[in-house]
Amino acid sequence: MTAHTTAHQTNFQKLIEKNHASVSLRRKVTNAVMLSVTGLMTILALIPLFWIIGYVVYKGGQYINLDFFIHTPRPLGMEGGGVLNAIQGTLIISGLASLIAIPPAILAAFYAANNPNTPLGVVLRFSTDVLSGIPSIVIGLFAYAIIVKPMGHYSGFAGAVAMAMLMLPTIIRTTEEMLKLVPHTLREASLGLGAPEWKTSISVVLPAALNGIMTGILLSVARAAGETAPLLFTALGNERYDLGLIIQSGIAQKQGFFEILKRVFDQPVDSLPLTLWKYAQQPYPERIEQSWAAALVLMIVILLINIFTRLWVESRKRRLQG
Amino acid sequence: MSKITRSFMFVLLALAFVLAACGGNSATPETIVQTQIVEKEVTAQPAMTEEPLPAGSVQINGAGATFPLPIYTEWTYAYSYVDPAVVINYQGIGSGGGKKAIIDGTVDFAGSDSLLKAEEYDAGKDLQMYPMVASAVVVIYNVAYENVPDGTTPAKLVLDRQTLVDIFNGKVNNWTDPAIVELNPDLKDFLPNATITVVHRSDGSGTTEIFTKSLTAFSSDWTAGGASSVEWPVDQAGNGVGGKGNQGVSAAVINTPNSLGYVEISFAKSNGLAFADLINKSGNKVTASAESIASDMATFGPEAFDDKLTATIVDGDGAGDYPIVGYTYLILHTESMTDCVKAGKLLEYVQWTLTDASAAKRAGDLGYAVLPGAVRDAVLAKLGEVTCNGEPVMK
Repeated sequence: MTAHTTAHQTNFQKLIEKNHASVSLRRKVTNAVMLSVTGLMTILALIPLFWIIGYVVYKGGQYINLDFFIHTPRPLGMEGGGVLNAIQGTLIISGLASLIAIPPAILAAFYAANNPNTPLGVVLRFSTDVLSGIPSIVIGLFAYAIIVKPMGHYSGFAGAVAMAMLMLPTIIRTTEEMLKLVPHTLREASLGLGAPEWKTSISVVLPAALNGIMTGILLSVARAAGETAPLLFTALGNERYDLGLIIQSGIAQKQGFFEILKRVFDQPVDSLPLTLWKYAQQPYPERIEQSWAAALVLMIVILLINIFTRLWVESRKRRLQG
Repeated sequence: MSKITRSFMFVLLALAFVLAACGGNSATPETIVQTQIVEKEVTAQPAMTEEPLPAGSVQINGAGATFPLPIYTEWTYAYSYVDPAVVINYQGIGSGGGKKAIIDGTVDFAGSDSLLKAEEYDAGKDLQMYPMVASAVVVIYNVAYENVPDGTTPAKLVLDRQTLVDIFNGKVNNWTDPAIVELNPDLKDFLPNATITVVHRSDGSGTTEIFTKSLTAFSSDWTAGGASSVEWPVDQAGNGVGGKGNQGVSAAVINTPNSLGYVEISFAKSNGLAFADLINKSGNKVTASAESIASDMATFGPEAFDDKLTATIVDGDGAGDYPIVGYTYLILHTESMTDCVKAGKLLEYVQWTLTDASAAKRAGDLGYAVLPGAVRDAVLAKLGEVTCNGEPVMK
């Protein structure tokens, strides 16, 4: 018995060895070549990323300081100006745009995920694809035509609407994909236990898909925060924007909460990419330096948004598991 | 429940972050800036007679030409200490963008180096232009000089009006052309036998309008006209290239050996670009400077202005006149402003920029030429005609 097995194995091994002898070199070489090619390409693909980050940190790091975060811009030749207005503007525009875009986007994604083959579902999928392909400058012009011109002035609100339109397709598509990944059995179990459809969606399907949905939202916020083109015709830019001053003067005038809120959103605001773009085309070396620093601040702000959301998602995961 | 509290805490954290950023700002900068302004010898006297409005309560928005952006930024900044109630925001989106915005009524005032056309006046109904400051357009060049002895710097390039027109017509297209050599005897041995690459603006611009109006005045050979964008004869001749914005033209000239282009003087100066001296109408060699610009403005005086307060002041015949000079304008609606508090504050500000000594000093420091007295009086008189809801705005 043993001998037979050994003989059988030996035959098998012989076969393998024979095989090895004939093709192993070719396979090994192919493997080594392809592995090094893919590795090389990965490094090549990473070079621009690290180059950009490194260069922005190097150039921007030289000019960045605390003043840059806590002061509004000063005229040329005056030391110590910052981009507080742009940081506030970026947060305000992205925040308001998220408020405008996220609720309808998630509801639409639920509809599309639950009714993928209805006419409305098909139209929705098609139109989100089209919307995501529209150049952002066109969206800016559209917002100018429907909001800025009728209202008679540029405003952060108009900028946020343009941003929200940019965020919509990304959020709808990622949310829809994430909802589809939630196992059907989970849904059926909930429905089987007598939970109504809405409760199933909110307390079973949504939490299960939330991590992925948050990632999608995060991507779209980061994209919106980095956009210049849609803000050119909507938010315009405002070196004199200062949230602290607006709130102080609102309180001094005994304005109500909503009046102050209106003033926060209803006037031109700046954003970091807009500041970067404006400064970079000025001839003055100090403005060019500041635009590098603004690029670094933009990267830091987006990084912070990323980190905060990741932390939130992680802590949520731990809570669900533990 | 705990989920809700947690998300609430997250929002609160974000809010605290924002508020901390604002709080840090509100206390310190005022004192810092005020000391700096004192150093700059500013006579900031609040010109308020009635109960002052709370700080930052009047928001005024303007947009337009990039050419006066540095001085407008500095003026609006300084003015926030003259009248803290007013916050003035000016964005450099280009003359064309500014004109469109004021016609659409999406800004309170616009800046433009280019004059409004008849149809733009019609579309905007009650628009009026007010000259604010003047500046020059200079001819920048980048010549790869040959055989220059070590330790010496070739002399500045000199061009006359006819040669400049010939270059932009593509007729003079080599640096060794007799017309250039004759004007620059010192450079005779160094000029390369190379084609002149002529860089012009590819976008519509007030700079182009001032420059092409000058070419029109210089010689009847220039037939492309004077406008914010023209059909460049050099493009047909094959040695012309376009650049977007003053910055694009500067960059193209810096990066192209043996090229030549035109930009606002502030761009040439702050980028350290060499610009040519010109032989003016009276036959004198002039360098673009505050004096030669002011000399040209004085040659034309207030008579050059039409009833819309616009004037073309190129090619003056005074001895020291720099020939390529233009005003930059503020555009306002004269009758249709409805917020009279805002209109009043806006006109107070414009008046301040024209009459205040510190405002004039700031303009001079940045290389702009302020209006001659007689022109300024005409502008102030015209400002007095602005009405809000039928009432004159300025008392």
